[in-house]
Amino acid sequence: MSTKNDILSAIRSHTGKRYNMPELTLDAITYDDKIAQFSEALEAAGGKAVVLQAGEDVNDVIRRHFPDATRIASNLSGITCATFNPDELADSRELDNTDLSIVEGHFGVAENGAVWITRQVRHKALYFISDSLVLLVDKEALVNNMHEAYKQTENMVYDFGAFISGPSKTADIEQALVFGAHGPVGVLVILK
Amino acid sequence: MSTKHSKAAARFIANRKQEAWHDETLWMVRAKRDKMSHSLPEWERLRELACDIKLYTNSHLDTLLEEFEKNALANGAIVHWAKDAAEHNAIVLNILQQHKAHTLIKSKSMLTEECGMNEFLQEKGYDIIESDLGERILQWMDLHPSHIVMPAIHIKRQEVGEMMERVLGTEKGNADPTYLTHAVRKDMREKFLTADVAMTGANFAVASTGEIVVCTNEGNADMGTSFPPVHIATFGMEKIVPNRESLGVFTRLLARSGTGQPITSYTSHYCNPKEGGEFHIIIVDNGRSDILARPDHIRTLNCIRCGECMNTCPVYRRTGGYSYTYFIPGPIGINLGMLKDPVKYSDNVSACSLCLSCSNVCPVKVDLGEQIYRWRQDLDKIGRASSEKKLMSGGMKFLMERPKLFNTALKFAPLVNKMPRFMVYNGLNAWGKGRELPVFAKESFNEMWKNNKIK
Repeated sequence: MSTKNDILSAIRSHTGKRYNMPELTLDAITYDDKIAQFSEALEAAGGKAVVLQAGEDVNDVIRRHFPDATRIASNLSGITCATFNPDELADSRELDNTDLSIVEGHFGVAENGAVWITRQVRHKALYFISDSLVLLVDKEALVNNMHEAYKQTENMVYDFGAFISGPSKTADIEQALVFGAHGPVGVLVILK
Repeated sequence: MSTKHSKAAARFIANRKQEAWHDETLWMVRAKRDKMSHSLPEWERLRELACDIKLYTNSHLDTLLEEFEKNALANGAIVHWAKDAAEHNAIVLNILQQHKAHTLIKSKSMLTEECGMNEFLQEKGYDIIESDLGERILQWMDLHPSHIVMPAIHIKRQEVGEMMERVLGTEKGNADPTYLTHAVRKDMREKFLTADVAMTGANFAVASTGEIVVCTNEGNADMGTSFPPVHIATFGMEKIVPNRESLGVFTRLLARSGTGQPITSYTSHYCNPKEGGEFHIIIVDNGRSDILARPDHIRTLNCIRCGECMNTCPVYRRTGGYSYTYFIPGPIGINLGMLKDPVKYSDNVSACSLCLSCSNVCPVKVDLGEQIYRWRQDLDKIGRASSEKKLMSGGMKFLMERPKLFNTALKFAPLVNKMPRFMVYNGLNAWGKGRELPVFAKESFNEMWKNNKIK
């Protein structure tokens, strides 16, 4: 407690001019075709976006993109291609060696290809541990930029939330881009 | 004129090929940043807003930190306050002891570097595992970061490959970045699954919600915090932002400036402890509240650690991070070092050409170059001015105040052109090192003017 008081009193005695919080007004970029911009940004980040066509089954799309996946995790009711429900595992470590996870995102951000997720599964690890990740997003739920994105999160309550833009990546060895540093090597966003 | 920086720089420059690669690679990152910033018409407005928000937050730290604490406590987090590095490290040690932990898996944090935390805990027998690939490479090589965002930028793939042959048993002679990265992925997976406690830094701490935000490309912070029951997040108090709305401004600037990406792969928001677990948050001062008392340098607290001032700096690019004596190199490091201990770190202020490129690209408008200039004006006061430079400027002042003598000196200056090389290029003339001096004109401007040669 005393450290806290010491720090706060040092702050108070050293603070000079108090500046006002600015009005966060700006003309942020918008896009005529948010789906096209989102897809382009996601591709640049190493991911891929596809739009689910009328009459198409999402499970077929997933299967087509990941023909070799054998251990497929999802707790979503419509995802019949899943081979197990990750919420039934007591220990998040059991998720290791998952080929594919299929989860839902709240919305996508056109300017950077990111999808906002909040933890909707038992183990947060599911979003990061599998070799590939499929994010299902309503195609009407794309926003233009991060200002609009954070406005959307205003009333959301979550214990963990994240913007995920493409796969895990690194360039720490000589700035050479490598996917799958620790998390998914591939990210597919299906716009429904 | 030889500062510690210039001596270390000479060693870096000795490997010409490496120097050229370093220079070009960082400039490539800078060019990517330009492409990103030019794609947003509102870029300059974003920088203005980011700077103004930071001026607000850093002049309201007392109320914002208390607001943050209140909300973090309501979220179920445990909040600690650390005055300095020793208190910070003791808090972490205490948490490890309480949980009878042995391994701590951590994501990249310049703050733990600032606090010397890894060494402190390692001496006590704890196994500290850096999970960011660059940091892990450095840890294996027993080195410190040479850049705050690209920590291993100075190391070549062959060196990484050779080191990994020894520590991971990778194929002999294989220096392919994909192969090496995936070898670390495999090794690290087991570490993620078995670590006792996870630690992250924080890019932002949101006062209105009590959440912390961590940005990574690798997802290492997310993997690290996914398995152990305990998560420790530590941040320097200037990382506070008022609300999520202001994150809209900072998340648009951070990665665009630092690495030329529109956003990092992961921008993760941590609110609550996981079920049955603990979420510890450490708020660290360690000299930051002292900076508040220095209006000339207060903007250094705006810094969001994007690393862009290093990428753009002609001196950093050509001399490397290890040429600086403070643990943060480049323009921001020069300033932060001087604020920490001006006598100890004054060698770095000469590592600047005052081109102000850093000030022009900084996403939060830290007046980096201008502050370095101000520090240089103060060097004499702290007894750290270069004696050679003082002698020279003393001589110049003597000449300038005596026009007759000045003109006579000018008349004889062209004699230097004819002097033998050893008399001009020697240890006494720092300007003759590594460059050819310009040839003195036969006639001075004054003479030309008087002789009507200039109209």
